[in-house]
Amino acid sequence: MSMLEVDGLKTWLKSGGKQIKAVDDVSFTIQRGETFCLVGESGSGKSVTALSIIRLLPERIASHPGGAIHFDFRRRDGETERVDMLRLDEARLCQIRGLRIAMIFQEPMTSLNPVFTIAEQIIEALRLHNPEMPYAAARERALEALRQVQIKDAEAKLDDYPHRLSGGQRQRVMIAMAMACQPDLLIADEPTTALDVTVQAEILRLMKTLQKDRRMGILFITHDFGVVAQMADRVAVMRRGKIVEQGELDTLLASPRHDYTRALLDALPENLPRPDHPPPASENPYIEVRDIKVWFPVYKGVFRRHVSDIKAVDGVNLQIRRGEIVALVGESGCGKTTLGRAILQLIRPTAGDVRIAGDSIIGLNNRQLRPYRRRMQIIFQDPLSSLNPRLTIATTLIEPMAVHGIGESTEERIEIARQTLETVQLKGDHLWRYPHEFSGGQRQRIGIARALVLDPGFIVCDEVTSALDVSVQAEILQMLLQLRRDRQLALLFITHDIGVVEYISDRTLVMQQGRVVEQGDTAQVCGAPTQPYTQKLIAAVPRMPENVYRRAGACQ
Amino acid sequence: MTSLQKAENRHEGYAARLLRKTFSRWSARIGAAWIALLAVVAVFAPFLANSRPLWVSVGGHGYSPLLQGLTWADIGWLAAFFGALLLWSLPLRFGQRLLGLLAIILIASLIGKAALKPRTIEIYEQYREQAAQYDEVIYTLVPYSPRDYQRDRGDTGFQPPSREHWFGTEENGADTLSRMIHASRVALSIGFVATGIALVIGVFIGGLMGYFSGLFDIIGMRVVEIFEAIPTLFLLLTFVAFFGRNLYIMMVIIGLTSWTGYTRYLRAEFLKLRDQDYVQAARAAGLPLGSILFRHMLPNGVAPVLVGASFGVASAILAEATLSFLGLGLVDAPSWGQMLFQAVRFSSFNWWMAVFPGGAIFFTVFAYNLIGDALRDAIDPHLSTVEE
Repeated sequence: MSMLEVDGLKTWLKSGGKQIKAVDDVSFTIQRGETFCLVGESGSGKSVTALSIIRLLPERIASHPGGAIHFDFRRRDGETERVDMLRLDEARLCQIRGLRIAMIFQEPMTSLNPVFTIAEQIIEALRLHNPEMPYAAARERALEALRQVQIKDAEAKLDDYPHRLSGGQRQRVMIAMAMACQPDLLIADEPTTALDVTVQAEILRLMKTLQKDRRMGILFITHDFGVVAQMADRVAVMRRGKIVEQGELDTLLASPRHDYTRALLDALPENLPRPDHPPPASENPYIEVRDIKVWFPVYKGVFRRHVSDIKAVDGVNLQIRRGEIVALVGESGCGKTTLGRAILQLIRPTAGDVRIAGDSIIGLNNRQLRPYRRRMQIIFQDPLSSLNPRLTIATTLIEPMAVHGIGESTEERIEIARQTLETVQLKGDHLWRYPHEFSGGQRQRIGIARALVLDPGFIVCDEVTSALDVSVQAEILQMLLQLRRDRQLALLFITHDIGVVEYISDRTLVMQQGRVVEQGDTAQVCGAPTQPYTQKLIAAVPRMPENVYRRAGACQ
Repeated sequence: MTSLQKAENRHEGYAARLLRKTFSRWSARIGAAWIALLAVVAVFAPFLANSRPLWVSVGGHGYSPLLQGLTWADIGWLAAFFGALLLWSLPLRFGQRLLGLLAIILIASLIGKAALKPRTIEIYEQYREQAAQYDEVIYTLVPYSPRDYQRDRGDTGFQPPSREHWFGTEENGADTLSRMIHASRVALSIGFVATGIALVIGVFIGGLMGYFSGLFDIIGMRVVEIFEAIPTLFLLLTFVAFFGRNLYIMMVIIGLTSWTGYTRYLRAEFLKLRDQDYVQAARAAGLPLGSILFRHMLPNGVAPVLVGASFGVASAILAEATLSFLGLGLVDAPSWGQMLFQAVRFSSFNWWMAVFPGGAIFFTVFAYNLIGDALRDAIDPHLSTVEE
């Protein structure tokens, strides 16, 4: 008999007077020592399923009109009892939570309490479930737990506060906390999504090792098929609160039966039909960056002495021709976003030169810069915060046109805005709506339209797809490629996602600590990297296995 | 831009959403209803409480002593009211409406001041003495002007509430209800004008501090600290002592000393907003600074300032009431605080002078606080997660 058996689970959420069927008749089982992956796009109900199992949804908005969650509760006296999580009182739930079912969350930065040390947080969890455990023993266990998650210098880290730890280390601490009580089931809700790929690879490896040692069941929630391929024994695909397909990893990936699963796999960058890479329109670079530096000064002491600089960007050279897509990859904090903004003069560079179509734009004041602003635009990562919530789409699109004298009258500008919206595959009458009336993907299209209304030659795409679901990502990427072809755009594509880079870009630059460590044609950089850092980065990318289902016509 | 505005009406904007959320609460509705009632009372004060009859007819000849007795201030209040109704029914931008309203008030007051002869002496008794000669006469709801001391009635002075004077009379024998009705103008105008002055200064300085940060911010913050160290009440007392009792000076001083709170709110908001992607996008599009500050940042950062303002209005009213209570308010013009002062001024405790004006102050301040509270909850994203 399986350890966890979710049977016809229904979770309805009250929202503004309406009932939303967040989870609708979901059934699956998890055995000891098995990893079960729930995969789906945002809003599919995978996190709500997890929270329903551990009963962490607020009761005033969540109700369970049907279903059962049977769990083998190993009591502290050694007896095993089959319980239904949905019908336990709060006191019993508290015995199970943390002790037998543990959970780790997506955002390591906010899931640790900043005012307690690591030791205090782990020990509290330990002693809560083992009241008779003496403090010294608990501390010993905590240290052991930290060693288990392979934190370097665990003894010193024990008395550190969370802010001293990096994101990866914090996620390790979260895992250590979850594992300290030796749970039977670990629920991991997108545990590596906020982490860099190299760190992600280490965390995934760690979770697998721990699972093998403990014969623990893992419910792993993710949106990333690459991670699924690495972690899962069995997979279920969720959509709109229902499981559309579930099965063994290999069978499901090799021969997906449901259309939706196939659509999801099709949308992966490596499965998209390879775009042609047309030669650049001209040999002359449109954007030329020479030895650009962005240093942030660090001051210390009473007299604010200038002691050193944080070298966010430290001497980067870059050339982009019209009709060319250059990818800039690197892990968080490597300076790639700063570089993008420094090129656009949104951050003034400390040194170096930026030329657009031959004209240097360094040291110009705002008024002198204005004519160049038209030629270079930016699209942002977060589609929610990149649009002014107070303005209609029409106002957002028309104001820059008016400033730059595009179009004779407001009516004409509205017409241009309408056409641009149609270019990004939105409807013309969407002009009269406010940003909150759109989905994430639609907002990202509006962000692209805002960049396009000025008819620029160069666009910085700053992580434009990382907040989007794969299917939306595929559409956006294809649209950018189409725009590149139609308008001969020069694109600087900033991303951390190697799969996207391989799909879209002609050339690739790899950045580490403010410097470019490797650059060249994308096929060469991603296929046969020469620098050790690039090799490590490429190797860490979770890949789909070779025998996976391929879209007809997708080339290798 | 008409097509743009039509569209903004069709789809609910942020401001509309905020208002809907704020006034979906009963507390805010009650508060707003009280303020609206107060505004109507203030505007139509001469039509509600006046010794001059609304209409008389003598020997077939009918006229209105009340209309003849209107002052330029009455004209200004009426113009403000009907101007606001007119402007808010036209499809205009908020800024246009505001400027239009100010212009209407200014022009109407100037015309009133030029056209109406100020009367140096007002003999209220005549209307009561001539009452027998009128063929027909319509009085206002409270047939006493705030400064009608009713010398014709003989023994004037404090009188408890009676059929004649619903809220009693004050020390000179004037009707308390009438004085309260006319005093609502002081309460409303001091709240709005003082807060308006403070808002303009606070938003301007706070916005620039938040957007530019750096040196400008450091200097600005010191100025804010200097102004925060000034005790408003003592400054007011000093000014009253030097320049006499002037309502307008009071408004300006309260305004000049209370802008620091708004500056701090807006500075904090702007520090957060300047790194938002849409502000970066506005910069990348080369939009002028004015547009970035006032079109893209201010509407997104102004909500906490408005919450502060609704509490600010309440505290300005309290400041005026405090001054008047200390006997340093306006000399002859009616004010709620001054009436409170009379409640304890003499050996006897005149309860009606404490309860009614005190109640009016209490409910007005309470109403502004209710609205401010609801507004604060409406802009709090943590409370709106369930709805969205």
